[in-house]
This record gives sequence, structure tokens and C-alpha cells, in this order.
Amino acid sequence: MNRSLIILLGALALGAAIFAGSYFASQRATVMCCTNPADDLSWLRDEFHLGDAEMARIHALHEGYLPKCAEMCAKIAAKKIELDNVLDNRTNVTAEVQAKLDELAALRAECQAQMLQHFVEVSQTMPAEQGRRYLAEMQKLTLGAHEQMEQSMSSDTAHEHHH
Amino acid sequence: MKENQLHPADAKVSALLRQSRAAPSLPPRFQQNVWRRIEDAEAPASQPSWLDALAALILRPRFALAAATALVLAGVFMGALDGRHQARHEAQANYLASVAPHSLR
Repeated sequence: MNRSLIILLGALALGAAIFAGSYFASQRATVMCCTNPADDLSWLRDEFHLGDAEMARIHALHEGYLPKCAEMCAKIAAKKIELDNVLDNRTNVTAEVQAKLDELAALRAECQAQMLQHFVEVSQTMPAEQGRRYLAEMQKLTLGAHEQMEQSMSSDTAHEHHH
Repeated sequence: MKENQLHPADAKVSALLRQSRAAPSLPPRFQQNVWRRIEDAEAPASQPSWLDALAALILRPRFALAAATALVLAGVFMGALDGRHQARHEAQANYLASVAPHSLR
């Protein structure tokens, strides 16, 4: 092979290695320095530019909300187990299965209402504009995921019906 | 010096050897070809291809150092941008996991 071509290919490979090495080292270092897994609220502080006083109020709200959230999660998990037990060896949706599904849905709705209430309270501790942005972002991230799934399912169904 | 002087008999042998050596016939246009090769050798070197020029440029220490520095700086800058984005995403996921269990999302 031509000597110049070998030099060019070698230089390209070396250049790519230098770039990739610096890129990944810098990326890793930035992630390590900018994230604190122990602090759940660091995102709020950075994203919504909150001060210490606002963060202290949000911290208190957060600490108050966590036990309620954990209690609801435990109730939902227990209801899921009940539903699984009722569903075992069943081939159709019986009245008992329907009742468990309703109970599970009611628990989830209650938990979602509690969660939304928490988001509203947190948003009220922020400056108005940031609060609105926080609330919109949280609704999109939590309830929006369901909406996306429902929309995709309804569009799939419509698509199938057209056929 | 005496040893270097040829003996008359040696001179005779040398002459006989020269006669016995067959003089090969020259290829056609030998002289013309010799002159052409001499002219070619004296002519200035032909222009290198773009690949050779690029290879020569790459091998220059100053260029290699500048290129390596530029690549490191570009890598660090883009890595930091991406790392910042990734860190923000991880922090957001961390907060979301603490306030909104997966079963509700």
C-alpha cells in the first residue's frame, strides 16, 4: 500500500482515538462532578435557579411527602399482589378480578392526586414563572407518559381499523 | 613498487584474457537511452501528489502538535457539554424517582 496513504490512515485513527479519549474522559468527569445521587432535590435547585430559602421550604415539603408516597406505594404493591392471586389460573375476567382492578385503579388515582397536590405545593414555593414551568414539566413527566401511551394506542387502533 | 610492476609474461596473459573476453553487443539505441536517463536524472523532481503533500504535512511536528491539541480541546468541550446534559438528565430522573413511583408514570 502507498506509504502516504498508510500515514494518512494512521493519523486519522490516532486523531479519532485522541478525540474519543478526551470526549469520554471529559463527559465522565462532568457527570461525576455535577451529579449528587444522595441529593434528590439537586435538579430543582439547578433547573429552576432556586435560592437557599426556597430550597429549605421545598426540602421540608419533600420530607413530608415521602412517607405518604411510600405508604401509597406499599398499598398499591399489596393490591397488585392481591390482583395477581385472583388472576392465577383464571381464563376470564370475573367479578372478583374486576373488583380488584377497580380497587387498584382507585389507589393509583388517589396516589396521583396526592402527587399532583405535592407538585402544586412545591410550585407555590417558587417564583411564579418558575412555579408554572415546574408544574407543567412535572405533569408532562408523570401524567404525560400515560397520555403518550394512550395516544399511541388509539392511533394504532385507528390505523388497524382503516385496514 | 617492484611487486606492482607487471612481468612481461603477466602482460601477455592479461592481453590474452582481454582478447578471450567476449564483448557483448550493445542493445539498440543504447547511447540515446543513456543520455535520456542522464537527462531524466538531472531534471527537477516531479510534483508530489496531494496525498504525499498531506502525509508530509501530517508528519510535521508543529502541525501534528496543533492538530492533537485542537482534537483534545474539541473532545473536552463536546464531552463537557454532553456530560452536563447527561448529569441534568440523571438529576431529573433522580428527583422523579423520589416523588413519582414508576407505577404512576
